[in-house]
Amino acid sequence: MQVLHSDAPLIVYVDVKSPYAFVAIRPTLALEQELGMRFDWRPLTLDIPSYLGSAEKKQGKVVSSKGRSPRTWNAIRYSYRDARRYAERQGLVLKGTEKIWDSRIPNIGILWVMQTARDKLGDYFDAVYPPFWRRELDIENIEVVTACLEQAGIEASGFAAFASGEGSALHDELQPQFHPSGIYGVPTYVLGDEILFGREHIPYLRWALSGRQGSAPDIAYEIA
Amino acid sequence: MLTVYIDFKSPAAYLAVSPTLALAERFDLAIDWKPFRAIEREVPKLGKQETVGESHRRVRAASQRALSVKYAAHQGIDLRFPPQPGSTDLALGVLLGIEGDPLPFIRGAFNAYWEAHADLDDMAVVHALLVESGVTYTGSLADARSVLDAAQMQAEEAGIVGVPGYVIEDQLFVGREHLPWIEEIARAKVGA
Repeated sequence: MQVLHSDAPLIVYVDVKSPYAFVAIRPTLALEQELGMRFDWRPLTLDIPSYLGSAEKKQGKVVSSKGRSPRTWNAIRYSYRDARRYAERQGLVLKGTEKIWDSRIPNIGILWVMQTARDKLGDYFDAVYPPFWRRELDIENIEVVTACLEQAGIEASGFAAFASGEGSALHDELQPQFHPSGIYGVPTYVLGDEILFGREHIPYLRWALSGRQGSAPDIAYEIA
Repeated sequence: MLTVYIDFKSPAAYLAVSPTLALAERFDLAIDWKPFRAIEREVPKLGKQETVGESHRRVRAASQRALSVKYAAHQGIDLRFPPQPGSTDLALGVLLGIEGDPLPFIRGAFNAYWEAHADLDDMAVVHALLVESGVTYTGSLADARSVLDAAQMQAEEAGIVGVPGYVIEDQLFVGREHLPWIEEIARAKVGA
């Protein structure tokens, strides 16, 4: 799988453990529906400690932190507050995570759904994202992710084998391609040769995917 | 009242000026322009042996620049980054000593930085901008940097983490992508 190539009009990279991706899911699914298109959704598993340092919290208190300056902490806190208020506008709960999770398994789940039950992708996101961000889901447990697939009405009997075989290989094939291709975070949208990080580009994507009529819109977090 | 934190060396702040003014005009909102020293870095060079973090920072910086150039073009701005981000401390400090509407100075400072790559930490350059913009400056150029230091501390304590930073009705937003929400708040105020 080539990171920048797809037969779909738009590639969307997301990660289950990203609050930015969480609040981008519904607006992006809505755009897909509005345009009557099918986007190519793919996983990008972030290596957060490599660029933001690491931290662990217990009962809301930071118990360990590595590589984070006060300014970095302020920016992280603002980012979470910001994502939380937009999540609340969508009727969702977003609690800061207590550790940096390994989201590999639910991200491979995205590949599984794209291959086996494309029409149920939104159901899968609903089964995984909101409970994870309510701190109700252990996404590092394959049985938990399998249960999410089943909850979304997706046949999951082959998922464990996929997650350790073909799905794992596909996931791992993508990861080293991101930085050389100019991709570093989620959500990232690939529109032809344009790489756009962040849901603030949704107005531009709508404009571009519907014929580029009139002036191009500016970035915006659209609100309902 | 809409408080807007800016730094002249920030492309995001530069590109926010027109849409912010348009919003303020629509709702007859007064703007309190405040300085905030943002961090702007060069795009790191591709290293022979990069860590994942170094690679991430390089790719992110390059991507942010490309997107700034793209959206600047939509505003009719040919955005050209200076070879190295320059300090804008003096011009930012001066902003707090302007009596009346500082907008002519703000526009002049942004244009000087982005079109001429002027040194906005240079006394002669900033003095010329003050004169050209026709604003009334009652502060002291010699004290402007320390004025900025104090304002920076206050802004950070208030939770400002970047520019353009907006404060309206006790809500803080960073980035012009929040203008729809800010507009919603402004509309509610007008309606009230």
